[in-house]
Order: sequence, then C-alpha cells, then structure tokens
Amino acid sequence: MWGGNFKTAVSSLRQARWRTTFTMMGIIIGIASVVTVVSLGDGVKGQLTGQGGQLGNDVLTIRPGKLVNNQGGIAGLNLYAFLAPSTLTSKDVDSIAGLKSIKAAVPVEFVTNVATGDNGENDDVFVAGTHSQLFSLLRIDTAYGAPFSDDDVDQNFAVIGSSMALKLFGVLNPVGSTVHINGQDFIIHGVLAPSSGGLLSVAQADFNSSIFIPTGAADNLTGGHTNVLQILAQVKDSKKIDSDAAQVRRTVAKNHGGTVDFSVLKQKELLGVSDQVVSRITHAVTGIAAISLLVGGIGIMNIMLVSVSERTREIGIRKAIGATNQQILNQFLVEGLILSIGGGVIGILVSLLINLILKLYTSLHPVISVPTIILAVGVSVGAGIIFSIAPALQAASKNPIEALRGS
Amino acid sequence: MALIELDDVSKLYGFGDATTLALDEVSLKVDKGEFVAVMGPSGSGKTTLMNVIGLLDKPSHGNYKLGGRDVAHQSAKRQARLRRDEIGFVFQFYNLLPRLNVLDNVSLPLAYKGVPPVRRAKRASDILELVGMRDREYYRPNQLSGGQAQRAAIARAIVNNPSIIIADEPTGNLDSHDSRVVMEVLSDIHHQGNTILMVTHNPELTRYASRVIYMYDGTIVGDERTKVGEMAKHARRIFFRKPRATDDDIAAGVSAILKDIPGEEVTAKPKRGRPKGRKRTVRRTRSRR
Repeated sequence: MWGGNFKTAVSSLRQARWRTTFTMMGIIIGIASVVTVVSLGDGVKGQLTGQGGQLGNDVLTIRPGKLVNNQGGIAGLNLYAFLAPSTLTSKDVDSIAGLKSIKAAVPVEFVTNVATGDNGENDDVFVAGTHSQLFSLLRIDTAYGAPFSDDDVDQNFAVIGSSMALKLFGVLNPVGSTVHINGQDFIIHGVLAPSSGGLLSVAQADFNSSIFIPTGAADNLTGGHTNVLQILAQVKDSKKIDSDAAQVRRTVAKNHGGTVDFSVLKQKELLGVSDQVVSRITHAVTGIAAISLLVGGIGIMNIMLVSVSERTREIGIRKAIGATNQQILNQFLVEGLILSIGGGVIGILVSLLINLILKLYTSLHPVISVPTIILAVGVSVGAGIIFSIAPALQAASKNPIEALRGS
Repeated sequence: MALIELDDVSKLYGFGDATTLALDEVSLKVDKGEFVAVMGPSGSGKTTLMNVIGLLDKPSHGNYKLGGRDVAHQSAKRQARLRRDEIGFVFQFYNLLPRLNVLDNVSLPLAYKGVPPVRRAKRASDILELVGMRDREYYRPNQLSGGQAQRAAIARAIVNNPSIIIADEPTGNLDSHDSRVVMEVLSDIHHQGNTILMVTHNPELTRYASRVIYMYDGTIVGDERTKVGEMAKHARRIFFRKPRATDDDIAAGVSAILKDIPGEEVTAKPKRGRPKGRKRTVRRTRSRR
C-alpha cells in the first residue's frame, strides 16, 4: 500500500511540476541555509582547535577585557571588551617577561591593515609588531629567509605570511624585497611556512596573510600608540602553569592600579571562550535560517490544502471504491513527506555546493558533519509530517457523497 | 434470507424549516441474484437510496441489513471495508481516476485490500478480458470512448467479487450503441448470479431487469417483477404519460400544484409538469446531480 501511495503521490506531484518545484524551493532554501550556517560554525570551531594545538599547553594568553567568571568555569566573555581599545601596554609585557617563572613574553601589537608591495596596495593584511620569540613560541618555521632576531628590535625588518608574499610580490620567496607600511620601507627578512590556517586568537587573523615587524619598528610607525591585542607568555614549567597564571594576573593588575581589566587564559580556556562566542553567533544565525524553514513548511501546508480541495472528487471516488480514512490520510501524508524530504535532500546537496564554493573562493573552511546532515533530514521529515497532517486530515474526513458531487 | 433488507429507512437532509425528507420510511428486500431497476423522477430519492444501500450515506432512521448483518450503524472504517469487499459502484460519469491507466484504475480496490501488485494486475487483467477491454489496459481514461470508460468502471466495480453492484444511471451519458454494450455487460454479470441495483430513466432498460421499483417523493410507490427481456408494464406509462396539469394550471403556478396530489395508484410526475416552487429545496439537497 505504501508503494502505491508513493506512486500516486509522485504522479500527482509530477502533474503539477511547477507548483511542486516552488513548494520544494522553500524547504530547499531553509535546509541549505541551516546546514551552511551550522557547517560554517563547525568550521570556525575546527580552525580554533587547530590553533590551540599550535599554541601548546605551556603558553598563557593575556587579553584585554575581563573574563566573566562564574563558579570558576568559563562562563563567557563580555563582548564589549572587543570594542574597547586595549588596556594592555608594553610595560605589562616587560613586567611579565621579568617574572622568574616566565620563559618568554611576546606582545602582538596591531599596527595597520594596509601594506604595499610590488603588486600594489593590499588592505587585507594583518600587520603586527612582535618579538622575535613569537615564531618559536607558536612553533612556526620560516620557509625562506629567517625570522628577525632580538637585536633587530628597531630595524625595519618584516616576516611575512606565505599567501601575503604571493599577493604582494607574486613570488613565493620575496626575501630581500621591500614592503611599504605607513610610509616606511621594510625589508622582507623571512617568509613563514604555510600554516594550517589557524586564527591568531583574538586578532582573528590568519598567519598566512600577516606581516610581523619588530616592536621597536612598530612603535616608530605608530608614534608609540601601539595597541596590544594580546600578550603570549611561555612558562618554564607547564606543570606549575596555574600558579604562574595567578602570578601573571597579580603582576599585570599591579600595573593597572589593581584593576583586573584583562584575562589570563590557558590554552583550554582560550578555546573555550572562542568556542562559546562562535557557538552563540552560530545559534543566532541558525535561528534566523530556521525561520525560512518554517516559511517553507507553511508553503507545503498551503499547497497541500489547495491540492486536497482540487482533488475532492478523486477522494470521493477512492472512498466509494473502499479506501478507508486512514488510507486517504496516508496518501496525502506521503505526498507532503515527498515534498519535504525531497526538498531536504536537494537542500543538503545545495549546501554541499555552497560549501565547495566557500572553500574554493574564501578563507573559510566549513565542515558538514554527519550529525548535521542527520539533523537536516530529521528536520525536513518532521516539517513534512507536521505541515501535511492538517491537509491530510481534511482529505480523510471528507464526506464521500459530497466529495463525489464536487468537481 | 434476503441479501439486502431495508426496514423503515428514512433519510433527512438539513434542519429546521429547510429539512427535506429524501427517504420516507422505505422498506425493501432484495434477494441474491436479482437485477433491480429503480425508476422515478428527479428528486424522488433514487440516488439517496443507492447511497444508503452502498454505505456511502447513513440512514437517519431505520435499519439496514446486508447479508443478515446490521451495517448502517457501523464505524466508518468497517463501512469502507464493506464498500471495498461487498459493493461495487458504477457511476453515470464513470468516475475513473484520470491520472491512472485502465489497469491501475481497475486494480485500485484490490490495492486498498492489500493484494500484492503482480496478483492484482493479473486479476484486473482477467476482469478487463471479461468486459472486452483487455486491449485497452494501458490507455488513460481520457483516451477511451464513453462506452469503453463505462466498461472499465464496471470492471473496477466487480474486481473484488462484490455481493451487490450499484449502478447509478450507467447509460445516462452514453449513446444508444454504447448503452447497449454496457447493458449487455451488466446483463452478463447478472446471469453469472450477481445482484445488481440500477437507477435508470430509460424504460427500455427495464428489459434487462428482473424487478422494477418505482419511487416518488422518497417512497417506493411501485414494485413490479418482470421477466428478463420484457419491458416493465408501468415503466412507459408512468414516464411518458401526458402532463396532468392544464395550461390554466401552469398559468396559476403554485395553486396548480396543490390540486395535483398523488393518489393510491402508481403515480409519477412527468418531467414537463414537474412542480417548481415546492420542490426547490428538495432538488437542491438531494444527492442527485
């Protein structure tokens, strides 16, 4: 009987091909947008995790903005902290570096987002002032040339990410060339090996499209108004990291007149916060995408109701020759399910295509996981049942005599 | 024991002032193997009677036994099963499903019964052979002539071996040749021992019947057993009788109707003289199209 219902449903849907297409479109758009948004969120989370691996468990991250902390766990970060100018200073860097338990303290100072190379200006670049230890701390090697050293702190040297090298100079190895930043010339000292594309924690920048210059040179460029986005501190003994973190917190707080307007995060906490921010944004956008799914479902209901009243006579005939109410109900349920599951499957295919396009043409790395697909199919089946139950009930409860008389 | 047993069955439509009596305490017994022709003017309750017997409609009052079982007050589901297994419908306008081919149309009752596809196609094919439609199995209903469509509809009605076949003006939409073919098919089915109830306006068709019932205003006003092959005695007289109303009556309108009250004898209104005002509600609410 179900096979018969399927056959009947397919034939009646094919009869109204355009209507079927447009009805499915609602579900297709809904499912495709939900799957894409979720996969983008998963992708960003994956990138963050990748970066966490890079950072190592002996590194503390000091960020401006206080972590809102409930019961000792990660509760969340006040998002306003991202908007305010950094409260961290180079003095904090020196204080942290002066601590006995700290092996190295490295600032990441945002300088500008514009640099000019042989190929002209590029405004999609992250220019940061930092110390020479950054590269060893983050465990990134140079593919060509070498990182600048501690002695080069006031030199106009630059270490450049691999994709930025290609963009600015059109070659893989532009070591020795000159890049113009804020009116000054910097000599390319080294090119970083391509990294897996991890984000530079709070800076949200990609190593591959970054330019690192020594802090002294950065101060020169900005007239001393550097904006310390974060400080990375490597401890000597990773087993004592908790007490070291407390010590760092006390030291920096002293610099800030006792106010804790910053956060000291371990690797895990860092991930936790970023994860949480991404999750929140993903949930919000998923919610918006889900609305289109709802609209699609209502579209199905609408079309099914029209279809039921158009086929009143057919329902009458079927009942006269012995179809039970249940059998009529099933027939229309199957039709609604085909619309919604078909839309869901096509929606997943569309989102796979969007995924591919995003991977090819942007730096995003969306991940479509099996649970996401199962969720999408589940949602479309659910929408199909919920939104075709009313029309199907209406069809099943028709009086056979009146239905036979209707056209 | 009679196959069909109606006991004081009434059917009311509407409520309050607009209540119309479509069936007025009708009692009827039909034995297995009878071919009953039901005649009567429009709005006399023929179709309502067929719908009640065919379990498409529930009587307002009275009892209905089919094969000795009380069926009028059963659940919708059981009635649907009885329609599927015990009753075959043939309609004036064929009522084949336009999207299905002839074979699928005929096998639909079997599908609702849960017969596996191969067996149901075989059975439907055999039945189509019986009505001479084997070579049209894969045609769509709109590719068939009226007579062919009606024969396909008859095949669908008998595919489940029902105990009654209900035909509501099966030839009402057909030319004389197609009518004849369809009636011969029904006659064949009758000769094989099936019970047939047929509504008709055509007195000629009573030749095929073994019994003729006359209805008027929701009651059975005449019941005549005839020999198969002979036309019923009253059939022509009733339906081709000159209008009783005179020109003056027609001019007088409603008052003429009041004068013309049916008497004891078998009486039926000829079409031209049919009263207008009084019966409007009846005609609107009766199930005849």
